[in-house]
Amino acid sequence: MREMQKYAYPIFLAVMAVLPHLLNSRWQAVAITFLIFTVVALSQDIILGKSGMFNMGQALFFGMGAYTTAILNHQLGWSIVATIPLAILIPAIFGVVLAGPIVHLRGDYLLVVTIGFNIVFVQVLQNNLGGVTGGPNGIFGLDSLSLFGINLASQVAVYYFAFLVLLATLWVMRNLEKSKPGRALHYLREDQLAAESIGINTRIYKIFAFGLGAGIAGLAGTVYATQYAAVSPEAFEFIQSVLFFSIVLVGGSSIPGILLGVFVMFVLPEIFREFATWRFFIFGFAMIAAMILRPRGIWPATFGKIPKFLIKGGSHGA
Amino acid sequence: MGRNELILKDVTKRFGGLTAVDALNLKVTEGQIYGIIGPNGAGKTTVFNCITGIYESEEGSVNWRGEEIRGMTPYQIVDRGIVRTFQTIRLFSQMSVAENIMSGRHIKSKQKLWNGIFHTPSSRRDELENWKKVEEQLDFFKLSEFAAVPTGSLPYGIQRRVEMARAMAVEPTLLILDEPAAGLNDKETLELLETIFKIRDRGVTVLLIEHDMDMVMEVTDYLTVINFGKQIAEGTPEEIQKNPAVIEAYLGSEDDDDE
Ligand SMILES: Nc1ncnc2c1ncn2[C@@H]1O[C@H](COP(=O)(O)OP(=O)(O)OP(=O)(O)O)[C@@H](O)[C@H]1O
Ligand SMILES: [Mg+2]
Repeated sequence: MREMQKYAYPIFLAVMAVLPHLLNSRWQAVAITFLIFTVVALSQDIILGKSGMFNMGQALFFGMGAYTTAILNHQLGWSIVATIPLAILIPAIFGVVLAGPIVHLRGDYLLVVTIGFNIVFVQVLQNNLGGVTGGPNGIFGLDSLSLFGINLASQVAVYYFAFLVLLATLWVMRNLEKSKPGRALHYLREDQLAAESIGINTRIYKIFAFGLGAGIAGLAGTVYATQYAAVSPEAFEFIQSVLFFSIVLVGGSSIPGILLGVFVMFVLPEIFREFATWRFFIFGFAMIAAMILRPRGIWPATFGKIPKFLIKGGSHGA
Repeated sequence: MGRNELILKDVTKRFGGLTAVDALNLKVTEGQIYGIIGPNGAGKTTVFNCITGIYESEEGSVNWRGEEIRGMTPYQIVDRGIVRTFQTIRLFSQMSVAENIMSGRHIKSKQKLWNGIFHTPSSRRDELENWKKVEEQLDFFKLSEFAAVPTGSLPYGIQRRVEMARAMAVEPTLLILDEPAAGLNDKETLELLETIFKIRDRGVTVLLIEHDMDMVMEVTDYLTVINFGKQIAEGTPEEIQKNPAVIEAYLGSEDDDDE
């Protein structure tokens, strides 16, 4: 399995790197959506999969990043690229501030509260708070991507922007796995009392997970705003959060599981148009079946990321 | 900072109408192997929970090295050198033995939150140093062959060893063991005794709860006997063995164990 993954990732990334040149423009758009939603699902995985917190409001942070980019670009004339730092930072700060008072809540309560946050967020957008969100229509007519004065208006350029964001996300997640904060998330998910009793301030790490997950979702929001040159409230409704939640839960907290989930939820409906109306129905059944047959997800997280010198039954190789 | 002493004064913990720990006094001095014994439901585990911050006692004081630790959180107490194991083993069961032990390095690791996002040369060095410490514990507890195995799939006796290894990875000053021999066979119990002596020889004070009378008499330097949350006797194992109150309360109730 681990051997397989060793080859699977480079192959997957190589395919993704050349993909837009093999697709027509309609499918390029689908591929971009796949990349963006994968990043959001991965960000949700940090909160739900790795830390076990039932966050049902990930679309909020996704939307907040998208609106940050849209507002800064449209109202203030910043270039898309220049909005990136704030499109990460503002959702991340909101993630921390919102998580602070709620992370101690039990799973089901946390779920309800985060749904509430998501609904309030969409209401704020709809009602054009502060006159900057554009109300129900949102904001449209954003600039296209440009870097150092070079205009990158083509869809292929947006694809590579999305691909770069995915690579950055995968890189961060790999760093997280091999770090003290990343392990702390696993420990507190497995057994919070044991984690505290071994010296982990679980609260800090839960808030950290929310901040990090929100920041990454925000970055995905920038790409989303760029793809459509527009943002509108309905793209960030609570039902989107349900999808991200389900993808992590059904796929399992692993990269192949999440890719599979995003593919089934967002790409298959494009291939089989009739499937679009059926996808919730089918996904609902998949969820039920997965939770009964494979409660840890179709492709569960694998642990055991320990240095090689510890394996092989002894210390003598070190 | 005082000496490495743990002093409980009039510690009382109630659950509704039940007084699980009733004005308990005890003093554990540096280098001791200190035992707490008592019949089922006597309040032993509750005492440990009050020391380690899982519960806060309603009354009394828990003093460690001259500092009041009552009311602190578990992780603050770990930070002060007190680490425990659980009567019902609490490992991170889907994670490997090595990862479980690595959790004990958490407070010793110098990595910051942002090292979860990007690494630096010093965070990589820190990571490696801590894995090396895990390796030491794997060797000490003879767990090397299980390093990559998820703990949930291991036999009970090995799980107990992992839990102790995890606690020792913190490099504690005071190690608290809640019935470490429960569920072990005779051979494993003998190994456990040896391990406890070795741990003490490394300068760690040990406080343990034990049901197995033979083991308690063999391993401890000093004992407190509690029943219904109250101390009914204290002394060396020899003194305790002769104490009529203990014989009545402890041995008397042992007949009722299967009620
Ligand atoms: N969280 C709790 N809520 C209510 N009652 C509790 C709680 N924890 C313990 N008790 C009660 O307090 C009393 C002491 O329990 P405790 O677990 O400390 O006993 P013990 O001496 O460790 O027993 P054993 O030898 O069976 O482990 C028991 O009557 C128990 O039912
Ligand atoms: Mg007990």
